[in-house]
Amino acid sequence: MSDPAVRVRDLVKTFEVSRKSPGLAGALKGLFRSETTTLTAVDHVSFDLDRGEMVGYIGPNGAGKSTTIKMLTGILTPTSGDVTALGFVPWRDRRAYTKSIGVVFGQRTQLWWDIAVVESFRLLREIYGVSEADYARRMKVFDDLLDVGRLLPQPVRKLSLGERMRCDLAASLLHEPTLLFLDEPTIGLDVVAKANVRSFLKEANKLLSTTVILTTHDLDDIEELCERVVLIDRGQVLWDGSLRGLRDRHLPEARIRFDLNPIPAGDPAELAVGPWRAARLAQGRYQIVVDKREVSTADVLREVVRDLPVLDLAVGEPDIEEVVARIYRENAALRKPDDEALPEGGAPGVVAHRGVRRG
Amino acid sequence: MESLRFHARLFALYFAQYVKARLAYRADFATAVLASFLGTAASFSVVLLLFSRFPHLAGWSFPEIVFLYGFSLLPYGLFSVLSANLYEFADRYLVEGRFDRILLRPVSPLFQIFFESFRLESLQEVVTGGAAVAWAVSRLPDLSPLGLALLPLWAVFGAVIYLSVFGILTASSFWIEDRVGLAPPVFNLMAFGRYPITIYDLKVKVLLSTVIPFAFASFYPTTLALKRADFTPYFWAVPAVALLFALLNRALWRRGIARYGSTGS
Repeated sequence: MSDPAVRVRDLVKTFEVSRKSPGLAGALKGLFRSETTTLTAVDHVSFDLDRGEMVGYIGPNGAGKSTTIKMLTGILTPTSGDVTALGFVPWRDRRAYTKSIGVVFGQRTQLWWDIAVVESFRLLREIYGVSEADYARRMKVFDDLLDVGRLLPQPVRKLSLGERMRCDLAASLLHEPTLLFLDEPTIGLDVVAKANVRSFLKEANKLLSTTVILTTHDLDDIEELCERVVLIDRGQVLWDGSLRGLRDRHLPEARIRFDLNPIPAGDPAELAVGPWRAARLAQGRYQIVVDKREVSTADVLREVVRDLPVLDLAVGEPDIEEVVARIYRENAALRKPDDEALPEGGAPGVVAHRGVRRG
Repeated sequence: MESLRFHARLFALYFAQYVKARLAYRADFATAVLASFLGTAASFSVVLLLFSRFPHLAGWSFPEIVFLYGFSLLPYGLFSVLSANLYEFADRYLVEGRFDRILLRPVSPLFQIFFESFRLESLQEVVTGGAAVAWAVSRLPDLSPLGLALLPLWAVFGAVIYLSVFGILTASSFWIEDRVGLAPPVFNLMAFGRYPITIYDLKVKVLLSTVIPFAFASFYPTTLALKRADFTPYFWAVPAVALLFALLNRALWRRGIARYGSTGS
């Protein structure tokens, strides 16, 4: 077997944060003595990425995602732990390593702001030593898949967010990296742009068998692109496996939301639908939260449509933030073994409730 | 050697790109050149005025002063062209987070910082300085040919000294969270190096020759051509001083980047 593309072991990153006392007295005190607290951003994280794998690295804000990515890309040096990526130690072999990786930060462009996109590409061609023939061939592919051809003469600052992201993606793959880091690649994009970016990533991953690590808030990104997710919170890995498994285990819910016409008499706060109860969200709008381990969503749907004058209907699943919030709550409860809320011997993450939840 | 060729090519590309982007706004660029030229002309006028009142100040004739001042514009102009990013480094790179992007490219970070932006209009200073030197040379019959021949190279060493000193000051941003920094007061000191060092008292002489070696950037390089034998050892020390400060600058940036790697700021 070949080595994994990325091997992360017990990765730790702590930051010293100076604590400032409030007010003038505090500021004066800070002149003589600054108190620092140690903040652990990444706390003994370990995982492997196989070659050609596409993995979602997820977690709430401040979970340590970006800090991990910065260590894996060589920007930050870890406090302790090991990373071997493509045979390199990222922060030590940075110059050689960065030749074989691509990085896209959704929030920030990697391109030069004031010059035409094509000029940025030419600079990158020179920086990465891409031959003219390879360059032409790859640009053709980028144009086919991302439709960047018509954007090339424009300066980056004049592009829309979606256009810029397409150019950034193309730029990150110009040197055909074997490892690609994507930090929030669909943030701020509209539906069409998101779909474009996703299908491109799928295609690129298939075509070049690039290993991709993707951080995102958008569950749909993960669902469409990644077989596997690594979920972290407070710097620790809480889940490493399939997204379906994560959701089924921790928050096996479906939300059925529907609008009624006519509005039920009295505009009640709750409606009975067979054995289930729908909570009122707004006038004429209700929601049923289904525990999927107890009943199939389809059964509930059938009954809703049969019993009520449904005008419009949508089924949703909890988004990643919610799943993570749930897992975190359980995680915090696990840390306090005396907590009476924890079911004896039961798997953590059992969703015991039904009925009213705010969507 | 391979690396040198790579970086030279890359520099040419960066520079060409910048020029192209800059010339997209011609009127803006023309105004900047004019403003820059007026600034140079104004400070030159002060020198001329000063020496019309005190001819042979501390034993320097008028053409010699023009030679000195004109030459000082060469390293200074080169420095100005290349230092555009140093002033904004803390803001643009550290605070706004562009430094991450710098670290993700297989090119020396310092190279990228220096050459991602230029102050193109300052090329005017090199031209003006060159013209002043040419005029002075026509009025000074007894110049050392070797000193004249080495002048352009010594101007480059001078620019290296300026860039290194300000590079060192800029690198302090890795440790000090201060957006202004130490650069402005030191920047004002640059003007001192444009006059014959003999007019100052000892403290200033020592400061300009050792702590902040601006005398090595603009005054000492002229002394061989002007046949000031008492300064000749200093003239030959210029390349060594440039190398020393360039190495110091590089070492400090390396430590700064390592610190950035451990603090993320």
